[in-house]
Amino acid sequence: MNTSTLQHVTSVATHQGHVIRRRDFLRNLTAASLAAGSWNWTEAIAASSEQLRSQGMACILLWMQGGPSQFETFSPKPNHPNGGETKAISTSVPGIQIADNLPYCAKVMDELAIIRSMSSKEGNHQRATYLLHHGYLPMGGVNFPSLGSNVAHQIGNAANQLPNFVRIGNRLANAGGGGFLGVDFDPLVLRSANRPPDHTKPLTDVKRYHRRLRLLDSMEASFAAEGGAQIVTDHRKLVESASDMIMSPRMDAFDLEKEPASIREAYGQGDFAAGCMMARRLVEQGVTFVEVVSNGWDTHLDGFNRTRELTAQIDQPMAALIDDLKQRGMLEKTLVVWLGEFGRTPRINPRAGRDHFPRAFNAVLAGGGVRGGQVIGATNDAGTEVTDRPVAITDLFRSIYYTLGIDADEENLSRIGRPIKLVDGGEVVTELFG
Amino acid sequence: MARINYLALFLIVVSPIAQAESPARLAKRIDHSLQNEVFDQHSQAEQLKLAPRTDDLAFMRRVWLDIVGDIPTPEEITAFALDPTEEKRDRLVDRLLNDPHYGQNWARYWRDVIFFRAVDERSQIATNAMESDLGTWLNEGRAWSEIATEFITAHGDVQEVGGAAIMMAQDGMTEETTAEVSRIFLGIQIQCAQCHDHPYDRWKRDQFHELAAFFPRIAVRPVRELTQRSFEVVGTDRFGRKPPNNERFPTAEHMMPDLEDPQAPGTKMEPKFFLTSAKVPWGTTDSARRTQLAQWLTENEWFATAIVNRMWAELVGEGFYPNVEDIGPDRAPVAPKTVKLLSRKFQESGYDLKWLIKTICATEAYQRESRPRRATDGTPFVANVPQRLRSDQLYNALLTAFDDDEEKPTRRRGPRANTSQRGRFAEVFAYDPSISREEAVSSIPQVLALMNSPEIDLKTRGKRADLLETLISEIQQDDELTTEIFLRTLGREPTHEELEAVKSYREEIADRQIVFEDLAWSLVNTTEFQHRK
Repeated sequence: MNTSTLQHVTSVATHQGHVIRRRDFLRNLTAASLAAGSWNWTEAIAASSEQLRSQGMACILLWMQGGPSQFETFSPKPNHPNGGETKAISTSVPGIQIADNLPYCAKVMDELAIIRSMSSKEGNHQRATYLLHHGYLPMGGVNFPSLGSNVAHQIGNAANQLPNFVRIGNRLANAGGGGFLGVDFDPLVLRSANRPPDHTKPLTDVKRYHRRLRLLDSMEASFAAEGGAQIVTDHRKLVESASDMIMSPRMDAFDLEKEPASIREAYGQGDFAAGCMMARRLVEQGVTFVEVVSNGWDTHLDGFNRTRELTAQIDQPMAALIDDLKQRGMLEKTLVVWLGEFGRTPRINPRAGRDHFPRAFNAVLAGGGVRGGQVIGATNDAGTEVTDRPVAITDLFRSIYYTLGIDADEENLSRIGRPIKLVDGGEVVTELFG
Repeated sequence: MARINYLALFLIVVSPIAQAESPARLAKRIDHSLQNEVFDQHSQAEQLKLAPRTDDLAFMRRVWLDIVGDIPTPEEITAFALDPTEEKRDRLVDRLLNDPHYGQNWARYWRDVIFFRAVDERSQIATNAMESDLGTWLNEGRAWSEIATEFITAHGDVQEVGGAAIMMAQDGMTEETTAEVSRIFLGIQIQCAQCHDHPYDRWKRDQFHELAAFFPRIAVRPVRELTQRSFEVVGTDRFGRKPPNNERFPTAEHMMPDLEDPQAPGTKMEPKFFLTSAKVPWGTTDSARRTQLAQWLTENEWFATAIVNRMWAELVGEGFYPNVEDIGPDRAPVAPKTVKLLSRKFQESGYDLKWLIKTICATEAYQRESRPRRATDGTPFVANVPQRLRSDQLYNALLTAFDDDEEKPTRRRGPRANTSQRGRFAEVFAYDPSISREEAVSSIPQVLALMNSPEIDLKTRGKRADLLETLISEIQQDDELTTEIFLRTLGREPTHEELEAVKSYREEIADRQIVFEDLAWSLVNTTEFQHRK
């Protein structure tokens, strides 16, 4: 199959939007290539990674599970007792200071937009994690898609052999998946970037593997006809996606050994660093949405020490990711978002920790059309109240969709036929752009 | 020995406590009640179609997976199919409930319920003790109320005391433990009222913190001994100096934080049970507080309703309340009278879980063939619903299908538990059993693990796996061999189409060994193998 045929089919798929699902598309593609008498994925992936996404946009979500302290990260308050022992340092942008825990991020401040006035009401981990991943609170009967799934659905390309949504990090409850959009938009979840996907080598030669798949397919029919119609359909899709993925040369994206030593050094050590590096590799290979999870931010006790350990894990990799994307000319089209489910209390509790505080917390954005080097919103000296430019969760979600070129008012039909907007309400935070 | 058993039997029969209605009789009443409440209410416009009763083989695989978490062997299947007696289904259920794997299976289920919500990875250290203690309690037939009391009142080393699991999983934190106790035993999400009055429920913020006031005196502390490190749940009534290293320390009373003024110490809360407003005075000891809460909680109707709804949802595939951990007076069940009847009878049985399972398994609702999950506007309980196997069930099924022994786990309790083959399997296949089953979907890593893992391959490759090799050489006739492999994996005979598919595969490939290895591989990878119908 030649490139122009692929481009033609790709453009048909893109033109009709997400009506054509990735699997159906691949099926057509397979039929076409078989008809042409050639079965060679290496040729079939000649399309460039940018062609694999609408407008070439991608998003990397750096997720701080547990609720990172704003005081110890992007909103230090060194002149108030609530600020605790955390100091502020200057950044590459005059007048903007962040916590001394983040020296590397301070150097890329000119690319960062800090929102210091995120505000919500959810102080429970499960519900807040759900809210900050879906833009909605959990609601009985509606299986909302996660942010990454919606983005993959809207601008991910059907022709990519890698999943359009990859989540790197241990079991993350309530972060969601494809929801009513279906298994096609579920994330591929990796426990750690230091442990690439397991079981990606077929046990037999490729010919026998394909034969086995054919036999398997014929053994699915009777359950599909009895009580398993939908689950068999979903399972068949997964078997197909998984097989396409492991046969794809793009699998190299998961192999961090391929990265030169200088780059690996720049990102630093640890799971989160590896996750950021893999996120860049995946975006390069056409993946639309990558989520990298950092755990352990629920610092109720011994908060200053524990947060320092955590910031040491994320500071260098986050800054390196932004640098790396910039040097490769990818930053313009790759939105990086740093976020957790809520912030932490201004009051330092008797165990030297901070508790849950959704009323005023931080989000940080970079790249993807965001104007860096600015701070949006503010809190009072004690950090207890938002005093300027409150930003709601829906505002943030709307802004993310906006800069990715997605209409947030687009409606999906839930399984019960109810139209659900990507975001209900909210307004774009225009200061972020232009 | 025999004499002792007769004596025990005699005691049970004449015991005044034994007021439980016979499961078979109650099952009929439940079906009747569903007919009245649900099926007869269905609009006449379209004909309501109840799925027929399952055949014996589907029933057998279902009930094995549900009760003992494993699939039956071909010998078991044949014996059951040939048994001509009327009551063989009830008898099978009885037999399985007396198998020690019953306790093990459900202990593992509850282990996942508790530890999927753990706030800290360290708590994994407590899983083995919990699994083993709870397994024993279940096999002994201890009342669910007693079991709940163990979990609410436990203290001690988490590697010795299974009941300490919930507190360990929540790192001994007052508010988190409170939320979990309510979620797991009452099915009520009162923690949503932690920060503000609940938007859709009657629960007020005060009520959450009054419930939390039963748990301010607990904490999880490291235990450092020469030979091992562990953690213990402590409940204390002496509040002296602050422990070192910013360790969490218990407080005499629970303080509700002041949202308007985070600097303030907050409001001192009285221990008060939100469902009845019963309370204990300030200053009550830790042990008296928790014991009192356990008593009030297990006497409450929602305690019975929560477990009845959860077990029904697990066995029939859909609960009376759509969400097993979000029930309560502000939620509307699909068949209110039926769930009330079953809950009341469960209470009368003395909170007997074996009785509950026996009753549900005897209903027509349970024994119907399975159909895809209904749409939101469809009628509930017209069929059973296929369930994706939990990690342990799937792992057991793989072992049983190929007559394999479980790789011996290291006997010691502790954090290395997960390095067993079963533990590694769970890393890929486990899901939180409390979430909606629609959300517990399969994934690419799971598909890859079953298709390509060398451990699975050992089981399907004739040359290296004893069983398959033996079968291939001993069963000369192809159709017979196909049937045997179907029975071993899917617990049923192949359909005509499936036999034909194997035949044509056989014509294509000369090597008989390869054909049947591929068949075994295929069947393990079917959706059907990974579900219980």
